[in-house]
Amino acid sequence: MTSPPHPRLAAMLRDAQFWVPVAVLLLGLLVLQWIR
Amino acid sequence: MDPVAAARLRRLQLVGVLSGFTAGAWLGAAEAPTKMVSLGISPVVISLTMVLGVFLARWSLPALLRGTSAVRADVRQVPHLVVWAALAGCLWAVANTLTIFAIRDIGLSIAFPLWNANSLLGILWGIVFFSELRDAGRARRLGVLGGAVVMFGGATFLAVASSTQAVAGHPARGVAAALAAGALWGTMYIPYRKAYLTGMNPLSFVTFFTIGEVGMMTAIALADRGGPAALLAELARARDVLFWLLLGGFVWVVGDLFQQYAAKYVGISRGIPLSNTNQLWGLLWGVLVFGELHGASGRTYAQVVGGSLLMALGAGGIALASATGPEHRRWQDAAAREGERYAVDPGYTRSALAGEGAAATARGRTWLDWLIVTAATAVFVALARGARVPDLALDWPAITALAVVMLALLGGTGLLLWRTTRFN
Repeated sequence: MTSPPHPRLAAMLRDAQFWVPVAVLLLGLLVLQWIR
Repeated sequence: MDPVAAARLRRLQLVGVLSGFTAGAWLGAAEAPTKMVSLGISPVVISLTMVLGVFLARWSLPALLRGTSAVRADVRQVPHLVVWAALAGCLWAVANTLTIFAIRDIGLSIAFPLWNANSLLGILWGIVFFSELRDAGRARRLGVLGGAVVMFGGATFLAVASSTQAVAGHPARGVAAALAAGALWGTMYIPYRKAYLTGMNPLSFVTFFTIGEVGMMTAIALADRGGPAALLAELARARDVLFWLLLGGFVWVVGDLFQQYAAKYVGISRGIPLSNTNQLWGLLWGVLVFGELHGASGRTYAQVVGGSLLMALGAGGIALASATGPEHRRWQDAAAREGERYAVDPGYTRSALAGEGAAATARGRTWLDWLIVTAATAVFVALARGARVPDLALDWPAITALAVVMLALLGGTGLLLWRTTRFN
């Protein structure tokens, strides 16, 4: 077994502190699209 | 991770609280130049131009204060946080645009308190993700939560009193826009807190924040105006007021830098409500400098006085509920978890949380720093030469008094920040 090539990237993709802001950003863009 | 000494912790908490109040003063003043803009310019173009001023300031001030070599040293330690910084910039840009539409659809009086609810969301994220208010004791938890709720009430009174906007009549869309802006701004503090808990310097964070901010705002403006040609034509039409908008962006950055230090040293559950006192300062500029509320009813003045007192009371409660040793150790635990997850040097994280710079980051300015500062200054000077002084009735003694107070806060808090943390 070898360690993953990008351990920080893998940690980021498992991090709720990454996905919560991403989800809220997408929600904001949808609202913006709706109200324009 | 070793606990921070009690005296040092008290000093850091004082720096964080004063940074929050100074942020409020400068963020509130940043709204003033937008009032000098004649009607007829698209709100999205106004927002984009302010963001361009923000971009210039966010690259030149860090270069001046710490140097780009210190920014590079930070990125080598925590490269993953560049993603969060850009993400926070995107969140800010979308939120700012949503507020413009919210004001258009439901008026300032309803929109402002709705998006100011961001502090309540920030408290939730602070507790859930960063162990804020854990082991804080009942009185301090009550001080922060109660203070935020009281400030929310005060903000509602102020917004109702200062409302002079005509409402276009799309209540559902306006409420959705204001709530979404609050959610975006409340969530934007997750990247802030994550970065500072891990050890990234606020001045490095904002350098990458602004890339997301300008990129997202440019995309929104291009989509809104229908392409680059139409956008450039509108910018050219607005050239004689561009300076004031850029200046507004610059003043906003000064406030935001203090907001970043508040988020770092007192956490987001306390830092956001303290910097939300910007509404109070925005009202002071409106009433004293631009003569708003002139001839208003006694009821309106009562709302202004009552709302201001409530905001001051709430902010005071939060300021007095600063973190003690047990809560700070929970922050250190959260920081240690972050360090393990992203393989960050524990010494780097620990020294940053204690407001001390790692020795490796202490470098001087280079030719690149002076080039950035000179280029940003040249843009401001060039636009100032072509700027038209708006034909507005202004109260100059009030401007002078407010400017003196702002500069005193900037000098006093800046000096304390420098002496305590060396801008770390």
